[in-house]
Amino acid sequence: MNFKRFLTAPLFTALFAIFLIAVGATFTGARAQNTSLNVLGTSGSEKTAKGPVVTTDQVRAELLAWAPDGVGPGKQVWLGLQLAHQPEWHTYWKNSGDSGLPTMLEWQLPAGATAGEIAWPTPKKIPIGTLANYGYENTVLLPVPVTVAQNFSGTQLDVKLKAAWLVCRKECIPQEGDFSLSIPVKSSTAISSQLFQATFDATPKQLGAGSSQVEVGDAKGKAIKVSLSGLPAALQGKTLAFFPETGSVIEPAAAWQQAWQGAVWTAQVPLSGQRTESPTVMPVVVALDGDASGRAYRIEAPVKGEWPKVAAAAILPPALEAALKANASSGAAPLQTSAPPLGLWAALFGALLGGLILNLMPCVFPVLAIKVVSFVHVKDQTTRVTTGLAYTAGVVLSFLALGALLLGLRAAGEQLGWGFQLQSPAVVAALALLFTLMGLNLAGLFEFGSFLPSRVANLQAKNPAIDSFLSGVLATAIASPCTAPFMGASLGYALGLPAAQALAVFGAIGVGMALPYLAASVVPAVARALPRPGAWMVTFKQLMAFPMFATVVWLVWVLGQQSGIDGAGALLSLLVLMALTIWALTLKGRTRTVMVAFSIAISAAALWAIGPNITKQQDTGVSASQVANGLPAWEVWEPGRVDQLNAQGQSVFVDFTAAWCVTCQYNKKTTLSNAAVLADIEAKKVALLRADWTRRDPAVTAALGQLGRSGVPVYVIYKPGRAPVVLSEILSVDDVRAELAKL
Amino acid sequence: MLNRRTFSSSLSAALLAGTGLDAVQAQSTAVATVGQAAPEFSATDTAGKSHKLSDFKGKLVVLEWTNPGCPFVRKHYSGDASGNMQSLQKEFTGRGVVWLAINSTETSSMDYLAPAKLAGWMGEKQARLTATLMDESGKIGQLYGAKTTPHMYIVNPQGVLVYAGGIDSVASARFDDIKTATNYVRQGLNEALGGKGISVATSRAYGCSVKYKT
Repeated sequence: MNFKRFLTAPLFTALFAIFLIAVGATFTGARAQNTSLNVLGTSGSEKTAKGPVVTTDQVRAELLAWAPDGVGPGKQVWLGLQLAHQPEWHTYWKNSGDSGLPTMLEWQLPAGATAGEIAWPTPKKIPIGTLANYGYENTVLLPVPVTVAQNFSGTQLDVKLKAAWLVCRKECIPQEGDFSLSIPVKSSTAISSQLFQATFDATPKQLGAGSSQVEVGDAKGKAIKVSLSGLPAALQGKTLAFFPETGSVIEPAAAWQQAWQGAVWTAQVPLSGQRTESPTVMPVVVALDGDASGRAYRIEAPVKGEWPKVAAAAILPPALEAALKANASSGAAPLQTSAPPLGLWAALFGALLGGLILNLMPCVFPVLAIKVVSFVHVKDQTTRVTTGLAYTAGVVLSFLALGALLLGLRAAGEQLGWGFQLQSPAVVAALALLFTLMGLNLAGLFEFGSFLPSRVANLQAKNPAIDSFLSGVLATAIASPCTAPFMGASLGYALGLPAAQALAVFGAIGVGMALPYLAASVVPAVARALPRPGAWMVTFKQLMAFPMFATVVWLVWVLGQQSGIDGAGALLSLLVLMALTIWALTLKGRTRTVMVAFSIAISAAALWAIGPNITKQQDTGVSASQVANGLPAWEVWEPGRVDQLNAQGQSVFVDFTAAWCVTCQYNKKTTLSNAAVLADIEAKKVALLRADWTRRDPAVTAALGQLGRSGVPVYVIYKPGRAPVVLSEILSVDDVRAELAKL
Repeated sequence: MLNRRTFSSSLSAALLAGTGLDAVQAQSTAVATVGQAAPEFSATDTAGKSHKLSDFKGKLVVLEWTNPGCPFVRKHYSGDASGNMQSLQKEFTGRGVVWLAINSTETSSMDYLAPAKLAGWMGEKQARLTATLMDESGKIGQLYGAKTTPHMYIVNPQGVLVYAGGIDSVASARFDDIKTATNYVRQGLNEALGGKGISVATSRAYGCSVKYKT
């Protein structure tokens, strides 16, 4: 009786090797680093001098005054700082754009005189690589009005100014200057009048807001729509330059559109991805493009609509943390250990426990049964312990290998979740073939030993340790799709850990899974509790064929979800042909030769003709068909959809699922189809979203990652204004109803 | 070979849509956003060692865009270990925070420092960094929308971007302003370490423009 001998293990190893090659092929080479040498630039330093003029290597700055009628109450008095830039250098406007700083003036005036704000002349957009600034090149005068009080007495106005400006080319130099100037009170100071006049001409004229406005909160929240009315006829139909005075709202360097709709000028301007301001009024300046001498207007446009939330997070981390904490404290879900700050020890324990539970999962159970059978064969204590240890080593090493593979993929920048093998139709098909082979073997169609060289069979017989080791490897391979429900938290956690710790978690899963056998091999009491060998074993072996075939049914169904009915049909045909070939191999004499040749030929032809159907991508998503067959209206999950529904005040239940996830299907058919649950959902007007992960969907992977999970099922309830609640993976009617009642 | 083809194609699809560095070219408009997952990147440090953001998952990570040629950077690195940036680095790396300085200055810029020189400058300033990363191509900078030096980011242990903006509240190149400014990075890190939400999650970054490759 050689049925315990899983010669399919090498087959799996080969499959695994192909997978590794495929993964390896996608790795890209290390990025070459550009390491050309360059010396740190040193530029002119700041200079300070007393008097009206400060000169640096980049700027000549001069304090000017304009008081045509002298200084007195009600008299027109202006001060100003003139900055004459060296070619290529510039200083900044009140909104400096992506970088830079506006020039700052600190006045020291005698009592009774007060300086106002700078009347900023129209700036220029200065692009710097992928960024843009607003500022001035050449020569600019920054005028400041001075108010003189009624009680001002004095023969001259002594002005002191401390100015700070940032002058930039590509490099930037912050500079400061102290200036002083005396203005006679009685006589006229009009020497700079032309300069001031020219500057006033180049300063934006204030216009009333009228029906001008800035619209925000379009569906995507990516742009603002500016509409300005009341602009003079001279501007109409012309291309305008646009300068918002509020910084950090728009993306100054991004492409934008403008249009005239009659006398109304409109513009679509992209919002900054890292906007910091949410103004209610946006003062904006528009100017005739390329006309620095004038024709600029300033409008304080009211903002209509809601600014998109600056930290518009799908899942706010602190909120999520609170939700997970709340879940943990409620004690409703003992396996709910998915809080991100899970300690390493807790993760290891969870992994160990998960591994233990794996033994009871349907896809592991056949192997477990086979191991039980193999165990009772061994009466010798030493051999039994060796076997137990070898099996443990097989399981643990396989889990470590899978962990290493997962880490390798992580290193490749791959967003990946557990159970990933089954997201590829080719792997599903290969597993279906493998399980059919095992099922046929268990059912008694053939013995593996009969068509393998006896040398290998003997080797195995003589080395029960190797045999057990391979069984361990196989058990792990079969277990992988079942891990998600039990170890989502541990694995999600492991994915975010440094390599050594992540491997430790994987190792712990393996130890947990092998533990019952190890215990049985070491402690005879446990071994004795196992069933005695006997004639029932043959019956049991045959019985075990049915779980195998059931698994095949499930795999074919999964493939059907992925590749459609043609793919599933092709797979079934290939399974039948494989069975035919195997049966042919068990025949004797000439009949065998003929039948083997015939069956192999027809298999090859079928593989060539219909094989590609198996891996053919199905265009229509899985979700569409699933929406149709359930009573409640499940909507297809999309990134951002939850936020949208929440924004409309609706609570949302999200089912992260996959066709190949048994727990998901079970929950779907039981709890999620439960009449009471559905009634509650209806009553609370909860929107139902289903995120399908049958095929690897990066958006779903990302969403799972944000929830700290790397596998399905995951059930989440999002209520507006509350932290999302993650439900237990083993979804019970009571739990769901309790959570729904809180909405 | 069916296996291989399927995996390769789905892997590359995932890479394009995912957060790998290759995604930079595919989605150049998708800039890091506060409250969303911080985009993954990998870069070589001044010692030639490769680092990925995901290496540090489970820890708070500070990203500091730097350029020693910029006066605003020098403002915060003034003096030796007592400088504003160095003492911040010392305080928080001592509390388990990962601190990555990133230099996105292009090689032809006057400000460009070769890895050894940059490391030398950081050493001289007694910076306490987990690593100083080279980003001459500017890809990481563009991915994060870094505009100025300094420009500061905080990534939480779950890999979500929780702060983007300036180092403090007073936009100036003046050293004396440091003491009157609210340091948003210190405030944010203290809040995050205390398990609280970050009260100021975005602020205006101020400084020199990042000298990106054009």
